[in-house]
Amino acid sequence: MATLPSTRIYEGTRIPSPVPTILEVDPEKHRLEDILRVNFGPNHPSTHGVLRLVVDLDGETVAGIRAIIGYLHTGFEKNMEHKSWWKSVTYAPRIDYVSFHANELLYVLAIEKLLEIEVPRRATWARMALAELNRIHSHLVWLGTSALELGAISLFWYCFDDRDQILDLFEMAGGTRMHTRYVQVGGIAEDLPPDFTREARKFCDAMPKSVDEYEAILDRNAIWLERTVGVGLLSADDALALAQSGPMLRSTGVDWDLRRDMPYLAYDEVDFDVPVYGGGDVYDRYRVHMDEMRESVRIVRQCLDRLDETDGEPWIADDRKVVLPPRHELHTSMESLIHHFKIVTEGFTVPEGEVYVAIESPRGENGCYLVSDGGARPWRVKFRAPSFAALQATATIVQGLLIADLIAAGGSLDPVMGDADR
Amino acid sequence: MKRELPLVSDRPLAKAGLQSERVLWPERGPGVFEREVEEMEDALLLTTVEKAVAWAQSNSVWPDTFGLACCAIEMMSIVSSRYDIARFGMERFSSSPRQADLLIVSGRVTHKMAPPLRQVYDQMLEPKWVIAMGACASSGGMFNNYTILQGVDKIVPVDIHVPGCPPRPEALMEGIVRLHEKIRGGVPPAYEIRGVAE
Amino acid sequence: MSSYAAVPGVVETRESFGETTLVVDPARLVEACTALRDEHGFNFLSDIAAADYLGWGEQDVAGYIGTAGGRDIHMPGSQGLARVPDPKPKRFSVSYHLLRVSDDPVRLRVQAWLDDGESLESLIPVWPAADWFEREAYDMLGIRFEGHANLVRILMPEDWEGHPLRKDYPLGGEPVRFSDED
Repeated sequence: MATLPSTRIYEGTRIPSPVPTILEVDPEKHRLEDILRVNFGPNHPSTHGVLRLVVDLDGETVAGIRAIIGYLHTGFEKNMEHKSWWKSVTYAPRIDYVSFHANELLYVLAIEKLLEIEVPRRATWARMALAELNRIHSHLVWLGTSALELGAISLFWYCFDDRDQILDLFEMAGGTRMHTRYVQVGGIAEDLPPDFTREARKFCDAMPKSVDEYEAILDRNAIWLERTVGVGLLSADDALALAQSGPMLRSTGVDWDLRRDMPYLAYDEVDFDVPVYGGGDVYDRYRVHMDEMRESVRIVRQCLDRLDETDGEPWIADDRKVVLPPRHELHTSMESLIHHFKIVTEGFTVPEGEVYVAIESPRGENGCYLVSDGGARPWRVKFRAPSFAALQATATIVQGLLIADLIAAGGSLDPVMGDADR
Repeated sequence: MKRELPLVSDRPLAKAGLQSERVLWPERGPGVFEREVEEMEDALLLTTVEKAVAWAQSNSVWPDTFGLACCAIEMMSIVSSRYDIARFGMERFSSSPRQADLLIVSGRVTHKMAPPLRQVYDQMLEPKWVIAMGACASSGGMFNNYTILQGVDKIVPVDIHVPGCPPRPEALMEGIVRLHEKIRGGVPPAYEIRGVAE
Repeated sequence: MSSYAAVPGVVETRESFGETTLVVDPARLVEACTALRDEHGFNFLSDIAAADYLGWGEQDVAGYIGTAGGRDIHMPGSQGLARVPDPKPKRFSVSYHLLRVSDDPVRLRVQAWLDDGESLESLIPVWPAADWFEREAYDMLGIRFEGHANLVRILMPEDWEGHPLRKDYPLGGEPVRFSDED
C-alpha cells in the first residue's frame, strides 16, 4: 500500500460535530426563517432503496441533513441464530442483495475459519470467479442506476443488458439468477457445468468493449463532468475516520484493498491492479468503479484458466462431519449413512469460538463477526455492512451542495439498504 | 394435422386488437385466449364501452416505483431490454403515486415501512391494482420474525401474488400478464372484492 | 502480542484462530482505544459488535435425536454441544474490531464485558465512525453509551419497545397456517 497522501481535497475535517452523522443548520451561514425542511421519504425515485433523508434547504442549497434508515431492517441476525448452520447460509445473500455472492462467501468463510476446514483449490477458484463476476454485476447495477438518476437514462438499458449476461452465468453455475446459495461450507455445492468456462470467456471478451462504450458515453461528457466533478468531496483522513472502504476510500487517494493487502481465497495468486484516484469526488468514484470492472475481468480470466487446469478435481472438502457424503457412498458405507443422517437432521456443529472475517465486497469492507458455542446453530452473527458505514458519511459529503448534487453524492456512496439495515 | 379452431377474425376482441403472448403457447392456439376472456366477460356481463375502457386500461398500466429489496432488482430487470416490459405499455414507472396505476410491492415490508406503503397506496387514484412480488411481499417469505410484515395483503388489498425468491423476470411478467387479463376480463380491482383494507 | 502490553486498561489478551483479542476494563475503554489509535496506528474502526450471552452453555440441540433418558452432553460423540463451553464473565460483550490501514495491516479486537444496566463510554471522539454502530448496539441489545449525543433507535421504529437481539426477546412472527388445516 502506498503512503497516505496529504489532505489536499479540503483543509481540516468536515465531519460534523457533536453528531458525525447529522449536519445541523449553521445559523451564521443561513437565516433560519429561510430553511425549508424537505423529506426524501423512504419511497423516492432515486433507486437506492428505502433510504430516508431529511434535508434542510436554504433555497436550493443543502444546509442540513440527516439520514434515517431502518425501513428494511429484516432481523437477519436474529433469524440466523434460530436456524442450523446449513440453513442460515440461505439468509446471507439477501442482506446485500446486489452483491449476493459476496455475502454468502463471507459467511461461509467465517464458518470455515471456525471449523478450520481446508477448501479444495477448485472450489476456491470457482468462488473467486463468481465473486469477481458479482463485482462486475454490482458495479453495473450501480452505474446503471446512478447514471439514470443523473439523467444519462440510456445507460440503464446498456448496463442491465450486460448484467443479464452475468446472471446467465450465475444461472448456469448455481441454478438461479440471484441468491444462488452456491457457496457451501467446505467448497461449492455442485461442480461447475462443463461449458461454464467457455461461456464465461465469451463474456470476458465482450465486457471490456462494453466498459469502453460506457466510458465513451460518460467520461468526457460535459453534463456528466459538470454534475460529478467536485461534488461530494471527502478527504482521506475523514474517510478513514468515518470507516469508509472500497471505492469510497480509494477515490480519496488511500490505496487500500483487502484483496491485495489482506488476501483471502487465492487473491495473492492472481495479477490485478487496484485503481486509486485522489480527487475525492463523485467523478473519481465513478472512475474507480469503471477501472474495477476491467480489473475484475482480468481476474476472472485468470480464474477461468485455473478452473480449466483443475477440471475433474473435487469441489468440496472431504470432511464427512461437515460435508454431505456423495450419494453413491450411502449404499455401501454405514459411516457415510450416519454422517448423512446427522448432517441433514441436526446439522453439523462448529467448534466454540469467535471470529471476524472481512472481504472486499463491491461496496467495501464487508465483515462477519461470528460467535459459536459449539452447537448446531450460530450463537451470534453480526455483519459489518459497508453500506451502513458509507451512509454515515452522508452528512460530511453534502456540505455546500445543491439539491441536485445531493442525488449524485448519495448515489456515489453506493448504499444498498438491505445491507445497511440488515 | 387439421386445426379445428375457429378463425381469430370471428372474435370481437381480436378485432379490437387484443394480442396475448399466450396465443403463442403450443397447446393454446390462436383463439383460445380470446375465448377465455370472452367467457369471463360474458360471465360478468360487460358492456362494449366497459370492454373498451378495460382494454385501454390494461394496455397502459403505469407501475409505481416501490422497489424495496432484492425483488426490486429483478423488477428493474424487466424494464431492461431483454425482458422489455415496454411491450405491454408499462415502461413508464411513475415515482408519483398520483400518476401510477399499479403498485408492485417488490421486497420485504417491515413494520417501519408499512405506514409509508399504506400512504403511497392511499395516494394512488382509483382504479389501482397491487401485485405482491416475491415471497416476502406475499407472505413474509423466509423472515417469520418480529420486524417483517407477514404478507403485504395485511395492509393493502392485493390482486396478484407472484411467488419466488426473487421471482425471475419472466415470472413477474406472467403475473403482470395475468393482471392484464383480469383487467381485460372485467374483474374488479382487489379493493372492491376484498374485505381487507378498502 | 506482547506489544499490546503497554495499552492501558488491558485485562487479558487472547489469541485464537489467528486473531488477537484484548479484553479491557470498561472504565478505561476510551483510554485504551486512544492509545491504540495514536501509538499503534489503528486508524480504522471496522465494526462494533455486541453480543448477548444469556443462556450460554444451556442451549438445546436443534435436532431431533434423543433418548428416553435424556442426553449427557459431556459424553464424546453425543449430539449437540461438543462440550459445555466455559461460562462468560458477564452478560454482554462489546467487541470493537480495529484495523490498521497501512503498509503493515493488522486487525485487532478490543472487547469489553458488561452486565445489563451498565454502560460504556462512547468512542465518537476517538473514531467518528462509532456513531451509528453504537446506536445499533443500543437499539438491538440495549447497551447504553455515555456521551453519545444522539443515542436513539436506528433500525427499529422510534417507539419500539424492547431490544430485539437480546436472547430473552422472542423471534416473533406468526405461526404458519396450512391450507388443509381448519
